[in-house]
Amino acid sequence: MSATARGSRASSRAAAAEAEAIRPAPGIDLIPRRPLLQRQVDAWIALSPGDRPLVAAGDSVVPGTPLAEHLRDARLVEVAGSGGLRPGDRWRGEESDAARRRGHPPEGELLFESGGRWWVVAGEHSQPIDSPVSGIVREVRPGLGIGLRAGGAALEGALALGGLARGRLELATGADGELLPRALDVGAAGAILVVGARIDAESLTRARAMGVRGVIVATLASKDRRDHLASEGRQHAALHRLPSFAVLVLHGSIRRPISVPAMALLEALAGRDVAIIGKPPALVFDTEGLDLPPDAPDVVHVRSGPLAGQSGKWAGLAGLRRFPGATHLEAGFVRFGEGPPVAVPLADLERLT
Amino acid sequence: MTRDPRAFFALDLGAATTSAALLGRVPDRWRLLGSLSCSSEVPLVAVLARLVERFAAADPELALVLGAGPAAASWPRLTVHSVPPAGLAVVAVSERALGALADVAALTGWRVIAGSAERLDPLSMTKMLLDPDVSSVLVGAGEPPGADERGGLGDLAALAAAVAIRRPELPIILAGAMADQGPRFEARPAQGPGAVVLAPAAAAGVPPGTALRATLEGLRGLADDARRSFARATATLAEALDRRIEAIDIGIDGGVRVVASPRAGQEPAMTAAAVVADAALAPPDPDEEVVDGVVGWSTLPADRHRMRDRLRELRRLPWGDATGDGAPFRLSAARAALERLVAATPDLDALPPADMLVIAGGAWAVAPGPAIALAAADVIRRPGVTQIVFDHARLLAPLGTIEDHDERRVLLADLAGDLLAPLGTVVMPQGMRGGRNAGRLLVHGATGSSELDLVPGGIELVDLPPGESAVAEFEFRDQVRLGTRGKHFAVDVAGGLGGLIVDLRDIPLRLPDRAERRRELLAAWQEALWAGVSG
Repeated sequence: MSATARGSRASSRAAAAEAEAIRPAPGIDLIPRRPLLQRQVDAWIALSPGDRPLVAAGDSVVPGTPLAEHLRDARLVEVAGSGGLRPGDRWRGEESDAARRRGHPPEGELLFESGGRWWVVAGEHSQPIDSPVSGIVREVRPGLGIGLRAGGAALEGALALGGLARGRLELATGADGELLPRALDVGAAGAILVVGARIDAESLTRARAMGVRGVIVATLASKDRRDHLASEGRQHAALHRLPSFAVLVLHGSIRRPISVPAMALLEALAGRDVAIIGKPPALVFDTEGLDLPPDAPDVVHVRSGPLAGQSGKWAGLAGLRRFPGATHLEAGFVRFGEGPPVAVPLADLERLT
Repeated sequence: MTRDPRAFFALDLGAATTSAALLGRVPDRWRLLGSLSCSSEVPLVAVLARLVERFAAADPELALVLGAGPAAASWPRLTVHSVPPAGLAVVAVSERALGALADVAALTGWRVIAGSAERLDPLSMTKMLLDPDVSSVLVGAGEPPGADERGGLGDLAALAAAVAIRRPELPIILAGAMADQGPRFEARPAQGPGAVVLAPAAAAGVPPGTALRATLEGLRGLADDARRSFARATATLAEALDRRIEAIDIGIDGGVRVVASPRAGQEPAMTAAAVVADAALAPPDPDEEVVDGVVGWSTLPADRHRMRDRLRELRRLPWGDATGDGAPFRLSAARAALERLVAATPDLDALPPADMLVIAGGAWAVAPGPAIALAAADVIRRPGVTQIVFDHARLLAPLGTIEDHDERRVLLADLAGDLLAPLGTVVMPQGMRGGRNAGRLLVHGATGSSELDLVPGGIELVDLPPGESAVAEFEFRDQVRLGTRGKHFAVDVAGGLGGLIVDLRDIPLRLPDRAERRRELLAAWQEALWAGVSG
């Protein structure tokens, strides 16, 4: 065991002991709790009919291992049927000049059989889907997807766009920042950038063009999401292979900073290789040597409302309170820094374990 | 279960909201002692502890009599669950056949994804059926199949059978003439996961569609399904109160509409219900129609993109950000959801109007009672006099789980006054001519009489507190429809948090096309019943 790891464990134990000594004010059990990190990460890599899996259940994979070949130009071909075949099986046609003249690709995937003939999904252009993480393949279902138990831990987000991505984590802005297109250059190629509170579609397009592998952002507005997806669709329609690019949205659609605990984690991960997966939407990383002391038992985080993104200390129940908008909500007192306690709706708060 | 214990909990465990109510026998009838609603992420044990603690603080003597303390954790519970609707892929050969199937399926609580062989190529249709969000497949055809279907039945069945091989866990429902294609699915079990179910055609039953609806509802149901219990409790409530009742529940994942009337003379009791996933407060991926609906009811100046963002946030954190703009935004989303529910259930509109409208569901959780009454009156526009009440403690669905009919009826009769918070009475005449004055209203209440002019196009409010009743005499200048046609009406009205609401606006409601003017008008009406919402 390394000295660093021993030191990390000792400091975590100390933090845990300190946490044990703090007894929060009553009522904190009405604040939802969730883990900041998922210690078991079951990723699902979706496949379409025609995609060819390259791994089998039980296989070990490392970052970069090809999991499947994605068919970029899937189309239907009708071929003569033969016995003993099932939907999802691979089909291989004759490689003759006559077949080529008929426009029949050399291979494909059986879709369904009707009237003695099979419909086959085939194409000529494919691109590999590489594993962004190390792990074990749990199941492979042609046309549906590949289940993978990833090693390490995950920070779950609200949404992920794009494919799978892996790269070195870099902090491009602070938790409440915003990245403008002109701030992006090729120096960030290969990186997964943390870009603060929000990003627009133009910056995402430029990030992809500069070779950035992924973006982690607190929020992404629906308009930028739509524009980015349209841009990605156009890129993928071109028949040249593109490196994968993924966007992980941590908190939602309406602008707010990256939450304090998520930002602390991202700061700790800066410089390390991390991966973005789409299902579940999450950032996956190796926890080796990562020291993340747990929250004290009285720490609460504001996840929505005007104070979203802030963290404070629980100071007890405030009862039913009237808030702006003439709304009466169950609330609790939270002390932010050295200031006086502030009443916050209970539903805007959460605790992290 | 309610005969022996002195107290019990009624729990409605929704996808977004946990509602807990404490009921006790005081001294010889059941009363609601307290209730608490909060985000479903909060552990139930914490919710119940807080509820009991509050009750004990409010009435220590009664708490002692009922034994409210640590032992309260073991009190019996009536529990219902509502879970997000599962995805049902509906496929047919032709668009015509598909429309009939999808219309029936949309009323059964499934989230329907539909496609026909006429519109989708086999690859697109296979992808649709392999989507992990699809948890059952309905493959249907007419009985007998139409001329536009016959040629494609075999291919469609072959495609579905191929999908069934790839996804052996996927239940397949073969409806109408498609049942003849059953042999293609022979490898499938008759029951359990991945079963093949034979169902009637979309048009089967009286009225048409009821037979397939029954099959689809049966396949969806949980044992303690909140929506099914809600319908059953509404029927029992109609019987207990001897009134025709319409009940509406809007939740984060769908809406329920029930119309129930008690037996009257030779007429048997009647209950009609529909569960509509599209009437969710915040659908998972709001399309343009959903967003436009919310924009149309919004009092906030937000563009469509911003409104979509808010709907997505509402879906993600249904209880979050409920202050400031968040409060009226929720009510706009609730109105839009209610509008979708009403539009999806025209058959229920055709039934005789209800005497009482029960509003329920998490969509209304943060709005004050009078604003809820206005929201209902904005959308459900039928000429007549309707008392609007609110199932504020979300008791109806849990009470609907009581199997014994007599016991359920007694309990609902005992609790009706507690579980139904009176929001007010809405009087909605139809057929007034425009102008400055359409007539006069004289209200004779317990504490005196009041008189006001009736101005078409607006809302008149008469203060009539909960528990009070009055007689409202209307004298219209012209003939109007208010149940029947006439100029002079005297109706009994019950008070509520919003009092007597005389709604002189158009039926159906016509709003200005200009967004700014529409927002101003909606805000002015809302402000009258929700003081301080704009500030």
